[in-house]
Amino acid sequence: MKLDLVHDIQSAYRQTLDSMSRPGLINNISTQADKVTMEISCYNSTLVLVLMLIDTEVKFKVCSEREAEVAKLINQLTYAKATEVESADYILVLNDVKEDDLETAFRMAYSGDLLDPHKAATIIIEVDAVSNDRNLTLTGPGIEKECYINVKAIDRWVDLRAEKNSEYPLGIDLIFTDRANNILCLPRTTQIAKQVVG
Amino acid sequence: MKIEYNFAFFDEGSKREIRRVTLKAVAIPGYQVPFASREMPIARGWGTGGLQLTLSLVGKDDILKVIDQGSDESVNAVNIKKLIAITTGVSVSEETAEATIIQSRHRIPEIPLREGQILVLQVPLPEPLRYYEPSEYETKKLHAEREYSGAWLMLFEQIMNYGTMSTGADHPVMVQGRYVMAPSPIPRFDNPKLNRSQALILFGAGREKKVYAVPPYTRVESLDFEDYPFRVESFQDKCCRLCGAKGVFMDEILDDLTGKTSYQCNDSSYCLQELNGK
Repeated sequence: MKLDLVHDIQSAYRQTLDSMSRPGLINNISTQADKVTMEISCYNSTLVLVLMLIDTEVKFKVCSEREAEVAKLINQLTYAKATEVESADYILVLNDVKEDDLETAFRMAYSGDLLDPHKAATIIIEVDAVSNDRNLTLTGPGIEKECYINVKAIDRWVDLRAEKNSEYPLGIDLIFTDRANNILCLPRTTQIAKQVVG
Repeated sequence: MKIEYNFAFFDEGSKREIRRVTLKAVAIPGYQVPFASREMPIARGWGTGGLQLTLSLVGKDDILKVIDQGSDESVNAVNIKKLIAITTGVSVSEETAEATIIQSRHRIPEIPLREGQILVLQVPLPEPLRYYEPSEYETKKLHAEREYSGAWLMLFEQIMNYGTMSTGADHPVMVQGRYVMAPSPIPRFDNPKLNRSQALILFGAGREKKVYAVPPYTRVESLDFEDYPFRVESFQDKCCRLCGAKGVFMDEILDDLTGKTSYQCNDSSYCLQELNGK
């Protein structure tokens, strides 16, 4: 069955909003993502997010080996224009990204200014897997006490994010997607502590 | 003439705009995110902000509740409910516990909200600093600089003039220690319900073109002073004339003929539920 651009996007949005308001809560959007029938070089769940959020009102940047191909596809589907990292509203970091490019994406992403912190970029990152295994401890708004996540990705993102988000309310918001179409959101308010193994 | 509207009235582009903004609002609790507010088939000031949020959220499986000043049956609530139900086909309910999306004007229901529910509040004046600063650019700067002495001064002046903080509704709150926020004109009685709420709370101001949010488990403190602590309206020794409930927000009803005063639950669905339970 084909992806329904009204109802499937709506239910995927509600799950994303749920994850964004409860950082650490992993929602699965396979029901929607599995309906993507196109041959694409990004995760199906990433494409669902693209269709949910991106149109001509915003600009995006793809960080990947297959940047040209994916950017062209997104432009054809949404009419949105691709741009450079520092001016992108949405930065898509695909799973084949090199560590250097990931670092550039985090360092160069726009983190808003004090008058308009909402203009900061949202980074959508493809990773191998997200789970609630005890690796990183999250605290902050949306979390009752604390919760745990494990993100199988280039480890440095935790430090890069901490550096970028050091001056609240400035900062970037992250949405992780994985191979199983799970979604995990980390708004800039979430504090991450690395678990001490002991 | 019968027009076939898109599901939930809006075109998909409008929904995308509101959805992008809502996600940003959740990421910066208490900060008013400007958005491209749409023209709606109801007048601005009648809940267009809340309506736009609800329409961007609603899906086929949702159960919707709309209340206006605690009542499910007032004109505003009924019309909004009709518009959403006709353009989506979702079922509506008056039971707070059953609803997945609750759009409300001026009240937070008596029955505690739970995880997974979304409360959408309609906001006439989203800017808590507007009372003493008419310029939008200036209030944006004050928020940017976390310069809120004016908000406290406003309460201080009330204490000087009346001996107490005289905010009847819309008593300003501090969200997660960063942004001062207008909680929409809910009575002070409802302010504590915002603090560490289990449900996501979204605020929409259609005329003023702002959306803001309080995610679950977020610290929300009403502004006050050490020697003049924040107090909610007291209904001590009062009980509802219909259901006998105590400790809820009540309307004062004056009988013109006898001159007697009686009290009644403001939240009509709560009152009904109490009556049915007996």
